[in-house]
Amino acid sequence: MRITNNMIIANMVRNISNNQQRENKYQTQLATGKKISVPSDDPVVAARALKLRTDVSKIEQYKKNISDAQSWLSATDEALAAIGKVLQTAREKMVQAANGTNTVEETKAIADEIKQLRTQIIHLSNSTYSGRYIFSGFKTDQKVMIDDETDPDFGKFAISVDTATRKEKIFYEVGVGDNININITGGDLFNSQDANASSRDLAVAGNTASMIQMFDDVIKHMEAGDFQQISASLDTIDAEIQNVLRVRADIGARQNRMDLTEDRIDNDFVNFTESMSLNEDIDIAETIMNLKNEENVYQASLAAGARIIQQSLVDFLH
Amino acid sequence: MRQSFFGLNIAVSGLYTAQKNLNTVSHNISNASTTGYSRQQNIQSASKPINTFDGTGMIGTGSEVTGVKRIRDTYLDFKYWSENIANGEWSKKAELLSEMETTFNEPSNSGFTKIMDSFYSSLQELSKDPSSPAVRALVRENGVTLANYFNTLATRFERLQEDINDQVRVTVEKINSLGDQIAKLNKQIYAFELTGQAANDLRDARTVLVDELSKLININASEVKYGKLPNGEDDIHFVITIGGNNLVDHYSSRKLVLDQRDIRLNSEDIPNLYNVRWDNGNELILTGGELKGLIDVRDGKDGIKGMDGTTATPSYKGVPYYQSMLNEFVRTFAMAFNEGYRTENGVLIDGVGHVDGFGVDTDGPGPATATSGLRFFTMFGEGNIPISSDVFIDGAVGMNAIKAQYQNITAKNFTVGLDVMSNPNAIAATNVPGENGNIDVLNELLKLRSNANLFTEGAPEDFMKSLVATLGIDSQQAKTFSSSQITIVKQIDNRRMSVSGVQLNEELADMVRFQQSYKASAKMINTMNEVYDTLINRLGVG
Repeated sequence: MRITNNMIIANMVRNISNNQQRENKYQTQLATGKKISVPSDDPVVAARALKLRTDVSKIEQYKKNISDAQSWLSATDEALAAIGKVLQTAREKMVQAANGTNTVEETKAIADEIKQLRTQIIHLSNSTYSGRYIFSGFKTDQKVMIDDETDPDFGKFAISVDTATRKEKIFYEVGVGDNININITGGDLFNSQDANASSRDLAVAGNTASMIQMFDDVIKHMEAGDFQQISASLDTIDAEIQNVLRVRADIGARQNRMDLTEDRIDNDFVNFTESMSLNEDIDIAETIMNLKNEENVYQASLAAGARIIQQSLVDFLH
Repeated sequence: MRQSFFGLNIAVSGLYTAQKNLNTVSHNISNASTTGYSRQQNIQSASKPINTFDGTGMIGTGSEVTGVKRIRDTYLDFKYWSENIANGEWSKKAELLSEMETTFNEPSNSGFTKIMDSFYSSLQELSKDPSSPAVRALVRENGVTLANYFNTLATRFERLQEDINDQVRVTVEKINSLGDQIAKLNKQIYAFELTGQAANDLRDARTVLVDELSKLININASEVKYGKLPNGEDDIHFVITIGGNNLVDHYSSRKLVLDQRDIRLNSEDIPNLYNVRWDNGNELILTGGELKGLIDVRDGKDGIKGMDGTTATPSYKGVPYYQSMLNEFVRTFAMAFNEGYRTENGVLIDGVGHVDGFGVDTDGPGPATATSGLRFFTMFGEGNIPISSDVFIDGAVGMNAIKAQYQNITAKNFTVGLDVMSNPNAIAATNVPGENGNIDVLNELLKLRSNANLFTEGAPEDFMKSLVATLGIDSQQAKTFSSSQITIVKQIDNRRMSVSGVQLNEELADMVRFQQSYKASAKMINTMNEVYDTLINRLGVG
């Protein structure tokens, strides 16, 4: 082929510009740390990047949700532990009062202590987690029991919390389609022994919870010095204690589940961020190598070009 | 008997020939860098010999230059033009699509994925603390950001369409002007060549114009023979056609004209886009060139029928396609989010959406401050103020009537409704008034994000992912086509340059050759001079 001067120049310019384009590509990759900057660089990588970013962001949110669920559950667990402790103390007092050798004055004195324990339970029923009442079902801005001691209805349910039919269960999303119930409702905890089966587990505003009723009965018997009735009440308090233990075991199980879920999510997070990185991040060493290579090619093409376009017969004719 | 000064005349003819050759070399060197220039060569021959009758026969009389020819392979020109058409189309498409890609801003830390993430994260936070005014405000703001993303995208697409439309106008004007210039050159070339001369430089100039024209539109250029000229040469007319119609026919050129559309082709289009047709009303058949690239991207909605129900849009995914996809996204998403309605297997189904829920009851038990019937997303009304749910729904009752209202939403006017804008407590969380820990509604809204039935492409993020991937693939295709087409065109151009380009070394060698020939002829004159000197001055008489 006949090579003409314009051809040499056009080809040289084109080749040098191609070299520069490749250099620029690696330079951009190094500057951004990413394999692609626009989808058309590699649509497959781009589509995967979008998917993985969504996945990672969801996992990050689930991690937050799990830790919030854990906080709520441990707040509940602490409240349950306190309630259990109060019930144990009450039981000891009751055993003490059930002894037939006590005088009425003595059982009355014990009744005063029991009253204090009752008040404590009522206040514990209104435990909060970051300003929200944990046993109030969905009505987290309202107290589950009336805890104003001057109120004639002190100790009665302030609101209705439905566990039986409507299930006021608060769920946190801790995975795709994985929701965990984080709350215990006041009815479930305090109203286990309701005689009326249909209203069992149900808190009804104005009604008294079975646990509080038990206290009321015991106080009444103690004030009357009726130690046989007190003794009979021991079964009732045992049942209440059992119920609290059941609920606590349930919370414990949920905490376990949260711990396991957290482990899994942590693993997922590592895996997904790794896939994300594998998908879109460059191998720096490799890219630097490529850039260096292109640099050399570019230098060489410039040097060669400079030699070839300068010289012609003109330079040798006198 | 030959005449006495014959030898001198031969030498003089050599002198002239050498000079003429040197002129041509000089012309070539001067035009070495002229675009489209074809090197020229003198046609040199021995001049007519004389017959002598003294037995020597024919005697040479020297040399002469009979013409100047252009060295060019016109086949390569036709080849160049046909390939340059596709080059123009794909280069334009690659350029426009890459502009659209930047508009989407994906993958990045500020694109759709990120914005959707933030919106859903704030909803998640709200689900954990539905009574917090701060989190509610955050949800509202993230909702606005989400809507904003679509507003900006739609506005940018509109502006792009406007820009492309302007480019269509400029391109058509360029085509007309080139057609005009070519017709004028035809006239000059023809006039020259009628007299038997070669219009070398004018032909080069014309080829450059046709080169330029072939990038803009699908032309077909040819030289048509119209019988014979009186001098026996072929009568050749140069004709350029576009889709069977003449743009240039010898001396005359036809024009393309622009009409502003009365009826929009696509419902997503901005008004008054240009239609291109012939000045005699004929339809312009476009199959390539930058003009096709521009029109495909400006009007392309994947070949579906336009608003009039009969005109097909270009089978290309251009601006209206992406606008319509964005519109579909916001309509479907807003409807599912607000009402819970969505289409599953073509059947509209009912579900729990924002509208069925209640916001937080700020003043405790009793009548809720936030009522149901509020939509989270509506659209901008007059003065760019979001409209309220009531105005948006406009009394529509029943799924289908309400669904129809959502057709009014576009990516450009999509926004968070006035009710939520003025009172974040109106963001629905619960399905029972007064229960501010109840997140039944929120949970339904959260589920939407993973609902693979929401769009044919899947969940909201899948929809956008596939949209971005589609654009990426189309843009990659345009880039590939355009770069391979450029390679082909460059290669043909290289071959053209190889034949027609000026090679300086060659010219310089010629220069030396002709210079030597000139010198030798001069020397010849000198010699002749001496011969005559001897003959006239030294011989005998004195």
